[in-house]
Amino acid sequence: MSASEPLLRVEDLRVEFPTEDGIVHAVDGVSYEVQRARTLGIVGESGSGKTVSSLTTLGLTRTQGARISGRILFEGKDLVALSEAELRTIRGNEIAMIFQDPLSSLHPFFKVGAQLIEAVRVHQDVSKDVARRRAVELLGLVGIPDPSRRVDEYPHEFSGGMRQRAMIAMALSNEPKLLIADEPTTALDVTVQAQILALLERLQQELGMAIVMITHDLGVVAEMADDIAVMYAGRIIENASAETLFAGPEHPYTWGLLKSIPTLTGSRSQPLVPISGSPPSLINPPPGCHFHPRCPYSQPDHARIDPQLRPVSEASSEGASSHQVACLLEPSVRKRLWAELSEGKTPEQARVDVGLPAPPEALASAADPVGDVPEVGL
Amino acid sequence: MRALRTILLTALAAAAMMALAACGSSSSSSSSSSGTASSGSSGLPAGVKNPINESLTGGKRGGVLNDVQSEDFEHLDPGQAYFQLDYQITNSTQRALYSYKPNTFSQTTPDLAEGEPKLSDGNKLITINIRKGVHFSPPVNREVTAADVEYAIDRVANPNVANPYYLGYLEGVEGMKTSKGGQIPGVKATGKYTLQIKLTTPSAPIVVASMVLPYSAPVPKEYAAKFDAQKPSEYVNYQVASGPYMLKNNSAGKVLGIGYQPGKSATLVRNPNWKASTDFRPAYLNQINISIGGDANVIGRQVLEGSDMVQSDAPAAPIVKLAVQQHPSQLTISAGGGAGTRYIAINNSYGPFKNVNLRKALWAATDREDLDRLRGGKTVADVMTHFLWNGIAGFEESGGFTGPKVDYNEHPQGDMAVAEKYMKLAGYPSGKYTGSETLQVVGDSSAPANNVAEAVNSTLQKLGFKTKLNLVEHTVMYSKYCGVVSEKIDVCPNVGWIADFGDPQAVLDVPFNGNLIVQNGTNSNWGLVNHPKINAAMEAASKVVGVKARGEAWAKIDRELVAEAVAVPYQWAKEPYIESKDVEGINDYWNSGTFDYSFTSLK
Amino acid sequence: MTRYIIRRLLWGVVLLVLVLALLFVIFRILPTADPAKLRAGRLQSPKIIAEIRHDLGLDKSLPAQFWIYIKGIFLHFNLGYSYYSNAPVKELIFNRLPATLSLVLGGAIIWLFAGLSVGIISARRAGSKLDRASMGTALVLVSAPEYWLGLLMLFFFASDIGKIHVFPGAGSYVGLTAEPAKWFTSMVMPWLVVAAGTAAIYARLIRGSLIETMGEDYIRTARAKGLSERRVVLRHGLRSAINPIVTVLGVDIAVLLGSSVLVETVFDIPGIGRLNYVAITHSDFPIVQGTVLFAAMFVILANIIVDIAYAYLDPRVRYS
Repeated sequence: MSASEPLLRVEDLRVEFPTEDGIVHAVDGVSYEVQRARTLGIVGESGSGKTVSSLTTLGLTRTQGARISGRILFEGKDLVALSEAELRTIRGNEIAMIFQDPLSSLHPFFKVGAQLIEAVRVHQDVSKDVARRRAVELLGLVGIPDPSRRVDEYPHEFSGGMRQRAMIAMALSNEPKLLIADEPTTALDVTVQAQILALLERLQQELGMAIVMITHDLGVVAEMADDIAVMYAGRIIENASAETLFAGPEHPYTWGLLKSIPTLTGSRSQPLVPISGSPPSLINPPPGCHFHPRCPYSQPDHARIDPQLRPVSEASSEGASSHQVACLLEPSVRKRLWAELSEGKTPEQARVDVGLPAPPEALASAADPVGDVPEVGL
Repeated sequence: MRALRTILLTALAAAAMMALAACGSSSSSSSSSSGTASSGSSGLPAGVKNPINESLTGGKRGGVLNDVQSEDFEHLDPGQAYFQLDYQITNSTQRALYSYKPNTFSQTTPDLAEGEPKLSDGNKLITINIRKGVHFSPPVNREVTAADVEYAIDRVANPNVANPYYLGYLEGVEGMKTSKGGQIPGVKATGKYTLQIKLTTPSAPIVVASMVLPYSAPVPKEYAAKFDAQKPSEYVNYQVASGPYMLKNNSAGKVLGIGYQPGKSATLVRNPNWKASTDFRPAYLNQINISIGGDANVIGRQVLEGSDMVQSDAPAAPIVKLAVQQHPSQLTISAGGGAGTRYIAINNSYGPFKNVNLRKALWAATDREDLDRLRGGKTVADVMTHFLWNGIAGFEESGGFTGPKVDYNEHPQGDMAVAEKYMKLAGYPSGKYTGSETLQVVGDSSAPANNVAEAVNSTLQKLGFKTKLNLVEHTVMYSKYCGVVSEKIDVCPNVGWIADFGDPQAVLDVPFNGNLIVQNGTNSNWGLVNHPKINAAMEAASKVVGVKARGEAWAKIDRELVAEAVAVPYQWAKEPYIESKDVEGINDYWNSGTFDYSFTSLK
Repeated sequence: MTRYIIRRLLWGVVLLVLVLALLFVIFRILPTADPAKLRAGRLQSPKIIAEIRHDLGLDKSLPAQFWIYIKGIFLHFNLGYSYYSNAPVKELIFNRLPATLSLVLGGAIIWLFAGLSVGIISARRAGSKLDRASMGTALVLVSAPEYWLGLLMLFFFASDIGKIHVFPGAGSYVGLTAEPAKWFTSMVMPWLVVAAGTAAIYARLIRGSLIETMGEDYIRTARAKGLSERRVVLRHGLRSAINPIVTVLGVDIAVLLGSSVLVETVFDIPGIGRLNYVAITHSDFPIVQGTVLFAAMFVILANIIVDIAYAYLDPRVRYS
């Protein structure tokens, strides 16, 4: 049980943004760990807090008047408490981050090579020539053909996939121990997606780098992640190893995510089952369980009691004890519901089969419309 | 007043003028030369200088004078110059046959001429001897001869030179009317120093009187002819001098860009070939630097508070006020003489004002004191009551400051009762105009002239007239509307007159002689005044000889003009000029009071 | 790229000719004074005026006059002759150009420096008291009439009539080559007046542009690389935010070169602006045409330079 000390440990992180309409609780008490050379997938809709928590790791939410509490321990140092100058020595160096849209994330007026050289020279005291050679090397490393010519081109001269490769190359310039990838494939074609994911996997093996993969797409993490955390309304509502999560998800929201993905093996006539409703307001979240307005199985007191993230069961194997979920339903009920859904039943059917009363109408319609998701555009 | 300066100062000037007017009307005291009676007596504020009284000797030699003027010169070619700023230059660089000393407008002094002219052959022949030992400036250098004066007179008819008044005064010279600039038969240098002018009409007096103008200054033909052949003549940019000073030039004689930079500056230096023994001018200063342009208020304060400076054009109203209050010894006010007049031109030949009674009605109704207030008040204006003015022969004979005693002239504030009387006499029993014509009124758009135009417009409306008032830029007003026969403008409230020289003919002839009206062209007889009796009297008076006799003859004409109410006079201008405290400025009474470089010195 | 420049220049020439033609027509339509009469002076006989008109070529048809004028410009660089000042237009303009160039270029340097500094600082502290104070001051400076500002400066700081004797007063302009030190001190107040309003505009402009730019994704990337905030703002942020300034700067300078008359008058600087103004009031068309020609040339050139600068700054533009 005594695993090696995690590379990154987030403890009860809370990030609030004061706005004119009220305080946005973007991250509402989040804790997770990232092990060395392992991949953590953080999954959730927009507004779930997944991006904000990662940006906060690098201190990139500080400029927006965010109120941050909790600890983010990186190799024992609390990043929340570090000064801006100290954080800068870590950014792009020990922890690197890549973003969703490589066209807007690379400066359009500077050559790609120049941007890479800059990334190298901010942390390494080397000459421009040396840095340039490193840049060419990095471009080759990420699989860009003819890197010594490409290094003098502008971002708009690259294709979408190559741009993302270039971003990755830039992130790797100083051999980071942790790479945070925020929706790195969302803006790309499916085939290119697969290439990028394969690249990341290869780089992880070659460089022994930990990766945090943030996405809304379970398919992406299925391949790469060793562990997965599912976020909803600023909290982690389920946390497990990838195998465990796909084999036996425990949270109704996770079920919804899984069931709304078309599969190659399912029948064509089987309807996709989306999660009804829309993400909740982060200023005034629903009372009790934040998911209850959209949950097909919610019960009356779910509107009063706020579930905590707890281990699924005390007994059984090691893998099962690190599986946590925040749900008020009985574990056995949940198992039966998942069994029903796995057979292809709709949530309504599953609920009826298991014998649960219908969710209270009044509660369902009391769900707040989509609240303010702070535009964390740094 | 020129457009440039006044446009920029509109708001400030207008406001200050109201204050100035109030202030000016309360200061009385007099140090004038002729003031007797009540309103209109030319009283100057305490401590202010008067050009008539200035001392012409005893100045300190040396130094550089800085002259700032916000407007530019117009024509520096002596064959063309007629604007007061131009005269400042020509008066110190060009020696005309006869000139004025600074403190007079009636008595001329022989300048290039050696003595008085000899008139013979029934006033049809003029013989003049010129001085010996007068030399041109570099690069010509040689002695001036009568042939140079002959050429100077010849060239006035050259369209490349375009002298503006030669036909007005020199028409009687034999061959002048048909000349295109070549040799004029009537003008001949009969000896090295003798000039003879033959006339076809006995107009010698007016010809001689006009010789104070710079056109009579010598021009070297062998040097100037090539310039005069160009269209337009380039002589102005290469001119040489005969007077104590010259516009700085290079060895080729070029003045443009060196001694004169249009819109920017001019520099006068001593003429090395000038001899003081041949001239009545002392020429104390070594150099005069003229700077053109700038804000009039700023310039005024620089002059009043600085040193070695004068301002050559009239200062802004707030500056005049400041000078009156704080620097009176640095302020000169020139009343009469070369200062001019302002009057309302009324169309005597077309439209409703053909009727003399309507003209008298307008005269009676006009509040002349109000118009003077609008122009700056008592410091700069005296109420005008007839058409000759102080300093010109004939002024006293035709009534002095109060003028001819007719009822429409009696009340400078205007008198509606008298006006009504004349309206009735004109055939409008109600006392108001009931005709169908709409009067065309064209005025000057710049301040304060526009205010005067508005006031006159209201007076017309009070008399019942329908009017269409059009305010335009003043050169446009003069060249396109007022005085253009075909435009048939009824009233031009913003016209004025300055005499070219101090003879009463120069005051009354051009503006009021119907024989001089041209059908296709611009006239300075803005009211198209054309009364055969008056025309004939003018023809006769032009032939009278002798200052006193001419004064009497033209005073009679002046009274006739008043009797016919040919125009409504309102302002005898008094021109203010300022100098720094260490400048002993001498002002030319005959040139509206502006500074004379040949007599001014530094203290 | 060179073909692009040549094409723009040629088009610029066409534009110039069109502008001049328009001017020609305007002067004939407006109720202005007849130049021949102006030249002739006070008392004119129609005969004389007709002679002058003929000599000056004014009795030819409009297109003929225009053709002569255009030929003169392009073949001999002869800009015509001023009836009023009795001097070639070219000589007058070149005599006055250096003063205006001094005024405008000096002012431009100041307004760029001041405007950018204030704007960048305000952008970085958007919403703070400093930001509000500087933007408020900017508003006042933009609204203040130049002439009034000039008089105010003279009133306070002129060495001859001011309350404190700091800078030389009006009329003390000398050429740069003549007396460099005096040229500089005499231009300080005029430069400040010229720069005041525009610096304020540029400050607001760069502030808005920078605030917007700093919200871009690539700024976030730059920070994530560990760059200092200073480098992020000045190198990454400013580089993009400067675009609207570049667009505006060229035209501002060019336009000002033709319209600096107010500052030139109040400080008595013998420049093109005043030359043009006086020429207009005297209906001295050749000078007005000459100054407009120069002004149009400056604007066209400025636009071309701005386009080139733009292409240099933003590589994406080069390929359109």
